[in-house]
Amino acid sequence: MAGMPPLLEARALVKRLGGRLVVDGVDLVCHAGQVLGLLGPNGAGKTTTLRMLYGFLSADAGAIRFEGADVSRDLNRFKRQLGVCTQEDTFDGDFTVRQNLEVAAGYFRPRPPEVRRRVDELLERFALATYAGDKPEALSGGFRRRLMIARALVHRPRLLFLDEPTTGLDPQARVAVWDLVNGLRAEGLGIVLTTHYMDEAERLSDALTVLAQGKVVAHGTPKSVLGDMLGEHVVVLEADGATMPAVAAWLGTRGLGEPLAVLGVWHLPLSGEQLADFARSFPALRYEVRPPNLDDLFLKLALPCAG
Amino acid sequence: MRGLTAALEWQSRAVVGRHLRVYLKNWHTSFLPPVLEPITLLLAFGLGLGAYMSSGIEWNGRLVGYINFVAPGMLAYATFMTAIFQSLFGAFIRMRYQRTWEGQLTTQIELRHVVWGEILWAGLLTTSYVAIVSLVLSGCQALGVLQLRLEYLPLVIPIVFVAACAFAALGLCFTALVPTIDHMNLPIFLVVLPVGFVSATYFPLGHPVLAAISTANPLYHLAEGLRGLLLGDRAGYHLAGLAGLLAVMLVILVPLDMRLLRKRVLGD
Ligand SMILES: Nc1ncnc2c1ncn2[C@@H]1O[C@H](COP(=O)(O)OP(=O)(O)OP(=O)(O)O)[C@@H](O)[C@H]1O
Ligand SMILES: [Mg+2]
Repeated sequence: MAGMPPLLEARALVKRLGGRLVVDGVDLVCHAGQVLGLLGPNGAGKTTTLRMLYGFLSADAGAIRFEGADVSRDLNRFKRQLGVCTQEDTFDGDFTVRQNLEVAAGYFRPRPPEVRRRVDELLERFALATYAGDKPEALSGGFRRRLMIARALVHRPRLLFLDEPTTGLDPQARVAVWDLVNGLRAEGLGIVLTTHYMDEAERLSDALTVLAQGKVVAHGTPKSVLGDMLGEHVVVLEADGATMPAVAAWLGTRGLGEPLAVLGVWHLPLSGEQLADFARSFPALRYEVRPPNLDDLFLKLALPCAG
Repeated sequence: MRGLTAALEWQSRAVVGRHLRVYLKNWHTSFLPPVLEPITLLLAFGLGLGAYMSSGIEWNGRLVGYINFVAPGMLAYATFMTAIFQSLFGAFIRMRYQRTWEGQLTTQIELRHVVWGEILWAGLLTTSYVAIVSLVLSGCQALGVLQLRLEYLPLVIPIVFVAACAFAALGLCFTALVPTIDHMNLPIFLVVLPVGFVSATYFPLGHPVLAAISTANPLYHLAEGLRGLLLGDRAGYHLAGLAGLLAVMLVILVPLDMRLLRKRVLGD
């Protein structure tokens, strides 16, 4: 890998929409055979970032490189390499499932070779063969997503964008999508996916980029992101009236900000030293200690006044 | 400039190909209107209304049978209506309800190709429609109902294509601007229907004010130009006026469509 430019690299992307700064200096990198997870709360700018990356929107500032070459020099050639699965379903309702794949293949030059065979192969692989003659709107949510992903692959792209591929799916359908993503990664595709689901990001991503309010707030492997953002441990305690003020004051004096409160339970992300300090300060308190997960990160990002 | 030359890029043809494929799937219903509409109109206007004008109608200082006056006007009217309605409803439904455009825009198709795809498709569809109407007219002539210079019909086809593209470019502006499909009534009743009828399509423009306004109306020049070709009088003047107006429309409206739809579809 050394010396090889990454498959996709974006630097300092900026986008203003409706007078608001929606994406504010985002950097990200995705390598071939890797899944980059783009994580962030609603409105963080994930979709807008993806749209700039696949050329739907033009960036106000910043650079996008594909294998080291600036994509704006030949956007059309770059787009030949991309597969895109948008957040909303964007089928062509005038065509059947099979025709949707065929028609999409017609939107690429050089033409994808052996379209018929490729379509059959995708129908088989995505378990869509029995629905080949149906209209997309007749499919269940899980199969619609599969069709969206299959359509994004019909021309054998090298880089795949998946905007919330599993939102709204039941657990079984989600696992099916994960398997497909895993398989595509094994084939060497670079994949950029956005998600709200922590388990999905942890399980699927080789690297995570966390967005909040249009900015990258963390980047790295899922483990290191958690360490950077939250510390090594999370203390979980019932927030009853007796202990709350004391714990809040303890957090305040150490500059740790507000606790993450969920349904009357506080989650306090702490480093090893802070945990030792906490244990000394509250010897009589009952609490649990667990490793941090992405839920904590999300709660922290979503809190308006989180430290 | 890039917006205008995109008409010739492969992506625009790919979008047209997509529309054609949908059309051919439903060909049996698609062919019905262009066959039935002119027959109905010729019966109603030509034979029905024409019966009250047995001596004919004065046109360019000579008397012509009303049915011969109406037939070329009908071609112009069909050109205008088919192109406009295709770019209003067909395009709006693809943009709004089917999200077809957003899907296309994730491929190598760009917005400028989507716009040209809609315009060229409206042009092609309208041309095929008018070609079928022309066949019906030829049939009527064979039956002795009409007396037109049919040898000029092949000239009508390219004129109709370019005019339909310009009309579709106008329709797309409305598509980009109307908030919901119910609001389509505004452009239809305020612009499309008045222009459609007050353009010497079905009756001559006697009033001097109407006639003066008409010099800037492309549909008027289309109707009178086609009439000139098929009846044999003053075709050159109207076709030259038409060419100028259509060129201005395309050069102004196509980039405007692209700008308005960029805002609407991309939110940018
Ligand atoms: N066309 C637009 N005009 C104005 N504001 C916009 C436009 N598109 C998006 N935004 C705003 O930009 C912000 C980021 O939107 P974006 O869709 O990128 O977020 P997201 O991270 O994908 O959110 P979600 O998880 O809900 O999909 C939001 O606050 C949104 O309201
Ligand atoms: Mg989104």
